[in-house]
Amino acid sequence: MYEIRFHGRGGQGGKMAAEAYALAAFLEGNYAVSFPFFGAERRGAPVKAFTRVDDKKIRIKTQVYEPDYVVVLDETLIETQDVLEGLKKDGTVIINTQRKPEEVRLSKPVKCATVDATGIALEVLGRPITNTAILGALARATGRVKIESVEQAIMEKFGARLGRESGEKNARAARMAYEQTLVGTSQGGKEFVPRPQWLPDVHEMPIGGAIGTMKTEAGLIGIGSFVENKTGDWRTFIPAIDKEKCIGCRFCWFYCPEGCISMVEGKAEVNYDYCKGCGICAHECPAKAIEMTREVKA
Amino acid sequence: MIQKLERKKMVITGDYAAAYGGMISGAEVVAAYPITPQTLIVEDFATFVNDGITDAEFIMVESEHSAMSACIAAQAAGARTFTATSSQGLALMHEMLFIAASLRLPIVMPVVNRTVAAPIGIWCEYNDSMPQRDTGWMQMSCEDNQEVLDMVIMSYKIAEHRDVLLPIMPCLDAFILSHTVEPVEAPSSDEVAQYLGKYEPVAKLDTENPMAIGTFAPPEYIQELRYHNHMAMENAKRVIREVTRDFARTFGHDYHGLIEEYRCDDADVVLITIGTVTGTAREVVDELRERGKKVGLVKLRFYRPFPREELQKIAERVGAIGVYDRAVSFGSGGPMFIETRHALYGHSIPIMNFLAGIGGRDVMKKDVEKMFEMLLEAKEGKTSKEIVWIGTRGVTP
Repeated sequence: MYEIRFHGRGGQGGKMAAEAYALAAFLEGNYAVSFPFFGAERRGAPVKAFTRVDDKKIRIKTQVYEPDYVVVLDETLIETQDVLEGLKKDGTVIINTQRKPEEVRLSKPVKCATVDATGIALEVLGRPITNTAILGALARATGRVKIESVEQAIMEKFGARLGRESGEKNARAARMAYEQTLVGTSQGGKEFVPRPQWLPDVHEMPIGGAIGTMKTEAGLIGIGSFVENKTGDWRTFIPAIDKEKCIGCRFCWFYCPEGCISMVEGKAEVNYDYCKGCGICAHECPAKAIEMTREVKA
Repeated sequence: MIQKLERKKMVITGDYAAAYGGMISGAEVVAAYPITPQTLIVEDFATFVNDGITDAEFIMVESEHSAMSACIAAQAAGARTFTATSSQGLALMHEMLFIAASLRLPIVMPVVNRTVAAPIGIWCEYNDSMPQRDTGWMQMSCEDNQEVLDMVIMSYKIAEHRDVLLPIMPCLDAFILSHTVEPVEAPSSDEVAQYLGKYEPVAKLDTENPMAIGTFAPPEYIQELRYHNHMAMENAKRVIREVTRDFARTFGHDYHGLIEEYRCDDADVVLITIGTVTGTAREVVDELRERGKKVGLVKLRFYRPFPREELQKIAERVGAIGVYDRAVSFGSGGPMFIETRHALYGHSIPIMNFLAGIGGRDVMKKDVEKMFEMLLEAKEGKTSKEIVWIGTRGVTP
């Protein structure tokens, strides 16, 4: 049996990728299981999905803790978390990036495959949806399934949902990624400070789970704890407010679901530490003073 | 009526399997209200209706209470019905569950087991379905998605049997099955139609032949009706054994009745499991067997009716029994543990309760190993613990 962990952001289709891979393995006569990790995720938030493949029925129902392969759909994720966590010795990481494997810096040197899945997706699909292209790279880097099976699985899964033409385009994206994937070894040495978790025992757990603001080893818990949870990196599109056009009507302030717009000297201002880029402010602005543009991340 | 569907193998979620099962069984009326993690069942069934695969009447309702009310009315009018719910939704439905069972309406309702608030959680716990114990519904749990599909089909066969006529909730674990895809083999629509036949109600609402259902009844009448329900539930045990045997012959998947024994023949100790933990526990049993430990597993499929007779036979030949529970009856113990103790009254072997996976916490192989370890100690008289919390911070198992 081998196990794969997919890292993506909510809305990028990591779950669909994990399922399509399971289907590809199944089409080759394997047994395959795929499931998402369900947390309190939203569009843009880091999410995970898993696939298990074996030549016999898979009975184990736990989550995946020690994957053989790790797939990263969004390059920004390798900066903020150790995607290699739990990866088996001799495991492989597959990353969507323009960089060569040797140019990628991770917590340790590992077998690494890279492909510009975003570039391929923009070229073939016209949209930065990378979940099908990355499967081509996964097939190439691991040799576990044939690219033809990946193409067939994509046609079946995406074709059924989005129409035949879209299924074919997505299959083509996977084929292109398969052909362009580079396999090598990553750099190591990048240090991550593991984010501690607040895990009270039965004596420390507040009665009824009622908490005010608590300082714990994992940071603030309870009322107001969100201030430490900066969600700005979930953003794909960023709002820009034209102060000349802003009429100070407060519509954006009122509609912002994050409460991250404040009024400064009568004009709207966005706190980019928390803005998730939903675009509701731009949609509601009667003065058309807010423009959403694709954010270029370092 | 449904479109002709061929036999096929699909890679699908547990929720899809549940919806497909209801559709291919020829459910004519569906009334459901979406709730995580049952939502996909409602969406998938709605898609079957939208795509013309079934011409079932899909009733949009404003709550689970109304969903069950609509199903009760439709079933009473002679239609085969289907609905599904989870957690708070099932709790809201509670009042109507009694009515469905007491009116002897064989409604089939997959329940995706999810913790009931507070706090709000969306993961697996059996504190939604198990408190429905005394409503008169049959209740069983599935181990994988194949069992979900097969069990929904079998549910109609069991529920509609003349000696039973009770509603049934086949349960599936939140996310671990509901949102997990795995290969599932579906029979053809012709095979299912032939297997189930048409639903023939004993009594139905009919404008040509008016009938009163669920009327006022003083004490002179109710006790006999309750006896009916109790005997129907007792009859269900025989029917479930027959139906699973027949299903195995027809479709090739054998579920062995109310329970399934796994490597129990010469076992010193056995662990009774339910739901998806069973799959993980099978792995542990195999590993412990390789190390020479004589351990076995009993997969409890039905919580209602409870397989008293089957468990009594097992108790006669083992040294200790463990019961895994994913819910707590506060002040007593795990619901399955209470039942097992009751069923095994008079047997002197140790019976232990293991509580784990509450609120959807992952039940790991090491957790199950710990259960077997303690059972082997209990058999030797080295522990007299009864209720053991596994993986609870600050509590020693």
